[in-house]
Amino acid sequence: MINLNCKIETPKNIDELLKLLAVENFNSKILAGGTDLIVGKIQGSKRFVDTELLIDINKIEELHKIDLIDDKIIIGASTTFSEIENNKIINEHLPLLKKAVSKIGSLQIRNRATIAGNFVNNAPCADSVPPLLVYNAELELISFGNKRTISLENFLEAPYKTQLQKSELVSKIIIPVPDKNIIGDFYKLGRRRAVAISRITLAVLCRIENNSFDDIRIASGAVTPIGKRFYEIENFTREKRINNDLLINLSQMLGEEILKITGLRWSSAYKLPVVQQMFYQLLNNIVIKK
Amino acid sequence: MNKEFSVIGKSVIREDAFDKVTGKAKFADDYKFDEMLYAKMIRIKATHAKINSIDFSEIENQKDIYVITANDVKGKNLVGLIKHDQPIFCNEKVVTPGDVIAMIVGEDEDKLEHLAKKVKVNFTPLPTLTDPTKALDPDSVLIHPEEKSNLIIHHPLRKGDIEKGFSESDEILEQTYTTQLIEHAYIEPESVIAIPKEDGIKIIGSIQNPFTTRRIVSLATDLPLEKIEVIQAQLGGSFGGKDDTMCILSARAAVASLKTNKPIKIKYTREESILESYKRHPYILNYKVGYTKDGKIKAMKIDILADGGAYCSMSPFVTWRTVVQATGPYEIENVHTDVRAVYTNNPYTGAMRGFGSPQPIFAQESLMDEIAIRLGITPDEIRRINGYKNGSVTATGQKLQNHDVNILTVLNKAVALTNFSNKWKEYKKEKSVLNEYEFEKPILKKNKFIDPKKLYQKGIGLAVSFRGCSLGAEGLDETYCYMSIEKNGLVKMLTGLAENGQGLRTTLIITAAETLGIIPDKIQFLETNTSLIKDSGPTVASRGTIMGTGSVKNAAEILKERLIKIVKKGFHLDDNDVIDFRENLVFSRKKGLLTNFDFVCQLALEQKENLTAIGYYKSPEVHWNEHNGQGDAYFTYVYGCQVAEVTVNIGTGEVFLNKITAVHDPGTVINRLGALGQIFGGVTQGAGYGIFEEITHEDGMIRELNFDQYLIPTAKDIDEIKPYFVEGNDIYGGYGAKSLGEPTLELTAAAIANAIRNATGKRFFNLPINLEELVLGKKIRPQNLNRGSL
Amino acid sequence: MKIKFYLNKKEIEIEVDPTIRLIDLLREKLNLTGTKEGCSIGECGACTVIVDGKAINSCLMLAYQVDGCNVITIEGISEDGKLHPLQENFLKTGAIQCGFCTPGMIMSAYALLLENPNPTEEEIKDAIAGNLCRCTGYKQIIDAIEVSAKELKG
Repeated sequence: MINLNCKIETPKNIDELLKLLAVENFNSKILAGGTDLIVGKIQGSKRFVDTELLIDINKIEELHKIDLIDDKIIIGASTTFSEIENNKIINEHLPLLKKAVSKIGSLQIRNRATIAGNFVNNAPCADSVPPLLVYNAELELISFGNKRTISLENFLEAPYKTQLQKSELVSKIIIPVPDKNIIGDFYKLGRRRAVAISRITLAVLCRIENNSFDDIRIASGAVTPIGKRFYEIENFTREKRINNDLLINLSQMLGEEILKITGLRWSSAYKLPVVQQMFYQLLNNIVIKK
Repeated sequence: MNKEFSVIGKSVIREDAFDKVTGKAKFADDYKFDEMLYAKMIRIKATHAKINSIDFSEIENQKDIYVITANDVKGKNLVGLIKHDQPIFCNEKVVTPGDVIAMIVGEDEDKLEHLAKKVKVNFTPLPTLTDPTKALDPDSVLIHPEEKSNLIIHHPLRKGDIEKGFSESDEILEQTYTTQLIEHAYIEPESVIAIPKEDGIKIIGSIQNPFTTRRIVSLATDLPLEKIEVIQAQLGGSFGGKDDTMCILSARAAVASLKTNKPIKIKYTREESILESYKRHPYILNYKVGYTKDGKIKAMKIDILADGGAYCSMSPFVTWRTVVQATGPYEIENVHTDVRAVYTNNPYTGAMRGFGSPQPIFAQESLMDEIAIRLGITPDEIRRINGYKNGSVTATGQKLQNHDVNILTVLNKAVALTNFSNKWKEYKKEKSVLNEYEFEKPILKKNKFIDPKKLYQKGIGLAVSFRGCSLGAEGLDETYCYMSIEKNGLVKMLTGLAENGQGLRTTLIITAAETLGIIPDKIQFLETNTSLIKDSGPTVASRGTIMGTGSVKNAAEILKERLIKIVKKGFHLDDNDVIDFRENLVFSRKKGLLTNFDFVCQLALEQKENLTAIGYYKSPEVHWNEHNGQGDAYFTYVYGCQVAEVTVNIGTGEVFLNKITAVHDPGTVINRLGALGQIFGGVTQGAGYGIFEEITHEDGMIRELNFDQYLIPTAKDIDEIKPYFVEGNDIYGGYGAKSLGEPTLELTAAAIANAIRNATGKRFFNLPINLEELVLGKKIRPQNLNRGSL
Repeated sequence: MKIKFYLNKKEIEIEVDPTIRLIDLLREKLNLTGTKEGCSIGECGACTVIVDGKAINSCLMLAYQVDGCNVITIEGISEDGKLHPLQENFLKTGAIQCGFCTPGMIMSAYALLLENPNPTEEEIKDAIAGNLCRCTGYKQIIDAIEVSAKELKG
């Protein structure tokens, strides 16, 4: 029998929750799906070893829903991957997010693990991050008497580190509804056909007009210390004619950008060439489908 | 042989299945006893170290906490299945990171977890030996100095004249292959409970071999065998892996139980299980093969080094099977083989399904394809030229007889089922299509980007094997079966062979049902308990069926003879009449249907006929000369051929397993459902071995301690497995049934490797052929054991 | 902490330590040992149970979190001693060897058929991808689920 050996609170609403978060003298963590936190606690991960209080947000309905309001899709922080995968709004407007979350872990994990939990941990391999980055996701952070909005990109700071303050909670993810003409794809490489930690993830959104990229957004995961957008490549690409040389060129640029960030690490020998190769293949697929 | 059976070969539901689908089946950790205490292991983070002192002072004052060390071991602290080199508690030094120094025992598992951190072990790290190729260097660290050398065993084999063989060859090919350390990955982690009895001790656990466990517990506790009762709980997978480790865990629990006079449970977490349990031997295999232009192999010189890790365990027997089978099923005049196993500080290695065969099969089957390619013939042709026929002589000088030598039959069947030769020629690449990535130039040149139409490459490959059944010259090979019939016709039986989860009991029930002419439901298999029946040897070496059916059939035949006498007397039949028992009914050839089985049993008991019997089966004589590796190694053999069809993503190195066709000759198939299950399961394990499973370590410290990092195949990793049985005739075993469990696993990785060669045009020499191996031609690993998430 | 929930269709009320896991509540406190523990980190699926119609790993859920929920374990799917079609077909197709993964496997299949009475082979594989089995190679398990789906549709 395992005991987590800490205190647990189960606030019924946001107000109760924010008051708990405002208390300074506890080292607290939010408990949502628990698929990372409970494992971390049991394995004695240094990220959780000092946690004295778990604040369980599962009873708070407001944090657990998906809405389309005006031209924004609002995903509550404790919405599970399964709920996202099976949601009509997501299916219609955010196909890359659907694809990414449907490949996370096992069904048992997806039935518990939550979207905010995925990036609040900020593991390099968090699969929902690249699609959220290319969808220009913003986060609403709330604390007692305060509310702020921050882009996901700015929120993510370093591996396992974010801009989240101790008294704050990610309450929702806000995604502008993408333009109808936008196409794209998500790619994941793991060591096994299912339930595999990502070695590489890529997300690309683009709009192709007259055989050139009118707009393109590119993000990766698991190849850089944290999930990342590649603005320089995006800017370079805009309005360029699409041909094989351009796709190769973009893929090499992606390799160079990643190399700049990571330097040569043990995994670079594999990941660097493969990310270029598969980015090239992904671009090809998108262009051909068009 | 007559293969018209009434029960044998049909699909029969397992006798234990009802309990298993309802959650009622009791596995070791499901047992609880009043006043039961838990035990927590004390280890240190060291690969090789001298222990100076152990300080329990911080926990000594804790109420109801007991400390168990080597001092509590009343018998021998050094035990082992072959050599006594493994301590129950390491009081002087540790030689591998799984080693246990002491145990603390108490009521609350969670509290023990915290108290364990307060035990202070003072130790001095010693130089480590983790490279097996350095183990025999004169200046090497000695793992067990009392052994004077790190050599565990050396098996030489000499047949013919190797130099003459090479001189008669037109071409010579020399290649080196390596295989990796892997984990059994049974889903149930180890668990055992020792319960004090008035006069001894009772052990219930996830134990593969209750009789071996009893022997080791007896050594450790100094209790005589009869005072130790070992009961096997439902076993949640073993694959050879719950033997040595479970013997030692049982001994630890027994020692603690005798000290505290309370039931003691040890249950391992997955991490402890992977850390401490033994694994499959990594091999380095060097093969030099001489052959003629028309494809006849003239000479094979083989040098194999096995990493035995820190303890001897079953290394001598594992490598013995290797030396017998290392040439593969090919008749070769001149063979010169050396197989050695050595000690290192690595996790120790022992028995695992396959038992010294998957490694040489990977090497020898890769080589056969390479020879075929060099000669411009297909892989099936080279095997037809060299494969065993009836009367062929093996590398050990054994003439194959008394059974169908079916290697070419299974090969031809598999080739026909898969349209092998045509596909192989179609997919074949003249040179490598992999444009290998270069570490020095991480940004890809333009020509390294792959035309999307060529990203996925198909391939097909095959592998064949022969496999000696049962223990062979490893040791005495006999089984017992106790059988009795009740008045109502219910048959009870008991064997000393343990069920390992594979369905052995069902197979033996079917054998009894066939002999007695009744339905399997009328037979009850009693719990395996070491106090109730004589040892029938371990359930290893795929011997359960061949040896077990022998003694079961024998017991059932003894009883049947007695029943026939009763029938003839009771129904006033002629002495020369023939009595048949079929589907619970009893027939006379002359008079037709007489009665049913139950009635005959009732009659027999009324007439005070003895309806109990002990069946016995002993393997035929085998013999072995350990100096030249010559002799009749096994009394019979089975044959198999597997074909793998794959798609390789040449950009990422992913291998998609589209279809594995598995053709096996296991002799007679007893339970079709169970036999099919052996193929599906064995192939799946073998596929994991081929493409991703690997335990890696940094100076002996394992990286993959749980299923997030140690990947085994999921339901999605193989698209299709197609089994096919060729049921060859044999005079041995009950009804000619032989072995299947291990043959199914040993071929798959080799077949996949050959399919990858066919798809990419490149030979891979090192298992597993994972992502990096495929596109970089090497394995790469993190520099240290730290993980970001922890 | 006092919690109240439906366990295998019966309402129970029980005092639980809020920091123990659901699997420990089931196995240790309620003696429902059909649910197995194989890895403790949500990778093997042996501990799968159903909470409000969804398959979850009971090693990754805290016991109190089932307060107000409907929980089904392997002990709760046969009715009046009659096996559920999934159980029946696991027997008939040979989907069982050692049986340690079986309860979790059946619960994943049960949850699948609740949501999708007509699953394709691929959907079945997806549903049980989080349940590791080392013995069977999955084929006979997939067969059992396919046959059960057909039977349940009638």
